[in-house]
This record gives sequence, structure tokens and C-alpha cells, in this order.
Amino acid sequence: MIEARDLSKRYGELQAVDGVSFTVTRGEVVGFLGPNGAGKTTTMRMLTGFLPPSDGTAVIDGADIFSEPLTARRAVGYLPETPPLYPEMDVEHFLRFVAALHDVPRRARREAVDRAIERCGLVEVRRRVIGALSKGFKQRVGIAQAIVHTPPVLVLDEPTVGLDPIQIGEIRDLIAELAAPRDGEPAHTVILSTHILPEVEAICQRVILIHCGRKVLDQPLTELTAGGTRLEEVFARETARDAAGTEAGA
Amino acid sequence: MRHVGTIAGREIRSLFVSPVAYVVLTMWAVLGAFFFLSSLVQFQEILLRMQQFQMFDRLQEMNLNDELVAPFFGTMWILLIFGIPAITMGLFTADKQNHTEELLLTSPLSIWEIVLGKYLAAAAFVTLLVLLVVFFPSLLFVYGDPEIGKTVAGLLALLLVSLSYAAVGTFASSITGNQIIAFFVGLVILLVFLILSVVAELGAAQGLLGAESWPADLMRWLATADHFQRLAEGLIETRDLVYFAVMTGTFLILTKASVESVRWR
Repeated sequence: MIEARDLSKRYGELQAVDGVSFTVTRGEVVGFLGPNGAGKTTTMRMLTGFLPPSDGTAVIDGADIFSEPLTARRAVGYLPETPPLYPEMDVEHFLRFVAALHDVPRRARREAVDRAIERCGLVEVRRRVIGALSKGFKQRVGIAQAIVHTPPVLVLDEPTVGLDPIQIGEIRDLIAELAAPRDGEPAHTVILSTHILPEVEAICQRVILIHCGRKVLDQPLTELTAGGTRLEEVFARETARDAAGTEAGA
Repeated sequence: MRHVGTIAGREIRSLFVSPVAYVVLTMWAVLGAFFFLSSLVQFQEILLRMQQFQMFDRLQEMNLNDELVAPFFGTMWILLIFGIPAITMGLFTADKQNHTEELLLTSPLSIWEIVLGKYLAAAAFVTLLVLLVVFFPSLLFVYGDPEIGKTVAGLLALLLVSLSYAAVGTFASSITGNQIIAFFVGLVILLVFLILSVVAELGAAQGLLGAESWPADLMRWLATADHFQRLAEGLIETRDLVYFAVMTGTFLILTKASVESVRWR
């Protein structure tokens, strides 16, 4: 469903992402981990077509991001680090606008918007102006705009950052529900970036750890935490080892 | 190109929930009325004087179009230099502030669709401004007999200058993330185009460039004034129409390049 091949991004002297490759299959929820500044956001921006990779490419749902950019972008729902919202619009109009941008046919738009509103728990605020909503609701509108066109792939960049514990729980439940829907909706493939480890344990099946722009770990969660190892330990161990390796190499 | 309407529609709606649109509309109507009335009063006074001093041959030459309508349109043109950058300053800057730039650029649409959608919204607004101006000279048709052809040509001049200014403003908002900066960049570009011919004459007078040299000719051609004035006086010529088309097209192409450059930084 998602195939990253040697993705690299240079900003002048800085190598933000260095040859990251991975595959994610349909219905999988993958946690994209790493310390701040490791290159998580840059990688996601390359997958979603916001930034072109300096090197390498990615294939989303069979479409290459270079040769078929529009098809690839149509297959992705993207929640950036800061949810992209027009504060002066109300929730319903905003989602209808996003649906139109993503080529949801005019007749199907109302239904698509209604479904996204319902799934993200926005029914009571659907006519409220986005600028007047609480942070938790704004985050949900952010997720709603990512799923309104029912894309097979969801890319979520730190979806729970800055929320209170109850809101975090709700957003996690929503993500789990999107990956494995009970009501016969199509399952989403989810890439989720975070540096909050319990979040990964709660909803991801697989972990990709990147450090200083390189992939240092790619394993199913069950293997990682087998024998009672806590994810914190794995995280600390792998980043430390990578840092040591970098120094030895240099 | 089917997303152009989607983008334009959203942009127009958000323009009309912002106070900027209403401030510009109000200023435009109030100042328009003021300048129209003052030039009308002045025109009457001149007529009165000429009758007092029995200058009948000069009185014959006075006409509503050349003495009232064309100068009035000229004043409104100057107002546009300040009004249009205010309307366009939020077109792209708001997307940077709201982080919706990321939404637009990761949606399946081309950069041209984004640029044309935003420009179309601005173009619709400036067309509304010009339509409001129609009210003033149409009063003259009730009480006098100005020439309809010249008046329509003047309105066309205002419309074309507005459409090209909207493209300049759209470009200004695409190169910065700050609305105030976008406003002043737009204003400065328009002012430069306003004074270019003066710069050319000054340069020629100082001997810095030959009066007939190509830089002087280019500057004179780029300056808005001649093109606007000829049209406002009722002279519809292809070279002036081409000028406004080239201005609009050039600044839209620059906008497209500027929006695209986000991806390559």
C-alpha cells in the first residue's frame, strides 16, 4: 500500500532524511517513531507529495509520487503536525470544500461529509465556526478532513500532540477504529508519527524507528516487547546504539 | 481545471466574512461619491465663470466626458492602487498562517488551479468595485448628455487596470507569509509602475539615458498611466489592451512560480 524506496531529503548542508525504505501493507497501523528532529515530519511530507524527495521515491497505492503525483495524492489522507483549518469557515463547509478538492463527486459529497462528521464525533459542532472550537475539536476536524474522501492511506503527523488525556484516548480510539472498522467500511492503512511511546503500544502493530534521518529499526510490536521489554528501553537502546555507530563511523 | 471554481468560491466567501472587504467597499463608495461631487461642483463653477466672462468659444469646448468623467475615473484609478493590495493581501498569506498551504499542496490539484482560483476571487471582487462606479456617471445621463462610448471606454479602462492590479496583488501575497508585508509589496510594485514614465523622463533630462534609447522606451511602455489615459479618453487601441493582458499574465506566471518554489526550498 505504501512503499518508500530510499527516500532522502537534503536541506542545503543538512541531511534531514537519509535513504529510508519501508513497506506498509493494507490495513496495517505503523508507528513512525523517533526523537524530535529525527526526520519524521520530512518523511511524511515526502510521502504526501508536499515536498519532493532529493533522492529515492515512494509508491502510494500503486502510484509513484513522481510519475503520477495526482493519483498518489488522491490516495492519501493527511493530517499535518498543525491541522490545516480555515478559522472563518464552519466545520461542515470546510469538510465539503476538502471533499471537493479531493474529487469526491458532487452528489456523494454531502454523504461523505456526514460520515466524516459522525466518525470523528463532530455532530454537535458541525455548524460552528472552526476558529471558535477547542483544541480537541480542531484536532478532530483535522482528522475528519483527512478521511472525508475515504482514502486507502492515512498519514497522521503527531495526531494527539497537545491534547488532554481524555481527548488523547478518544483520538486513539478513532484511529484504531479507522484501521479496523466494525461497520464494514474499508480499512485504512495508517502511518502515524509520534514520540509518545504508550500511543504506539496502544494502537500500532509495527514500529519504524528513525534517528538522525536513518531507519534504525523496523519490527512488529509483538516481537519488540516480547519477554516484557518495555518500548522505552528499546527506544533508548536503539537511538543510543545508532548515535554511537555514527560517532565511530565519523 | 475543475477545482478553480472550488478555490475561488471559498476565497470569495472568506473575503466577505473578513472586515477588509467591507472597509474597502465603504471607502470606495464614500470616496467615490466625494470625488464625483467635488468634480461636479468644480465643473459647474467653471461653466458659470465662463458665462460671466462671456467666453462663449471656450464654453463650446467644455464637455462632460473630458472635463468630468475622465478625470473622475483617473482619481478612482489612484484609489485602486491602495484598495486592491488590501483585498489581495490575504489570498496566499492566510494559507500560510492557517497551515492550509499543506492541505492545498497535498490535494490532487495543480498549482495553476490554486493560483487561478485565488486570482478569480480577487478578479470578481474588483469587478464589483468597478460596477459600483457605474452609478456615478450614470447620474450624468439622467441630467445631461455625456457620450456613452467614451464613458464605457473609461469603465473598461478601470476594469482592465483593476484586473491587472489584482494579479500584482495576488503575486505580492504569494511571496510572503505576512499580510502587512504583502500589502506594502503590492502597493510598492503598483507605485513603481505608476512613476516609471516619470523616472524615464528624469533619466533622460539628466542625461543618464537617451530619450529615445530602449530602456527609456521600455520604462514608458511599462508605466500604467499612458495606457490607462488613452483608454479613459475613449481611445481603444490594441497596444493598450495587450499591455493589460501582458501585465496580468506575467504576474500570474510569477505567482505560480512563487507558489511552486515552496516545494523546492
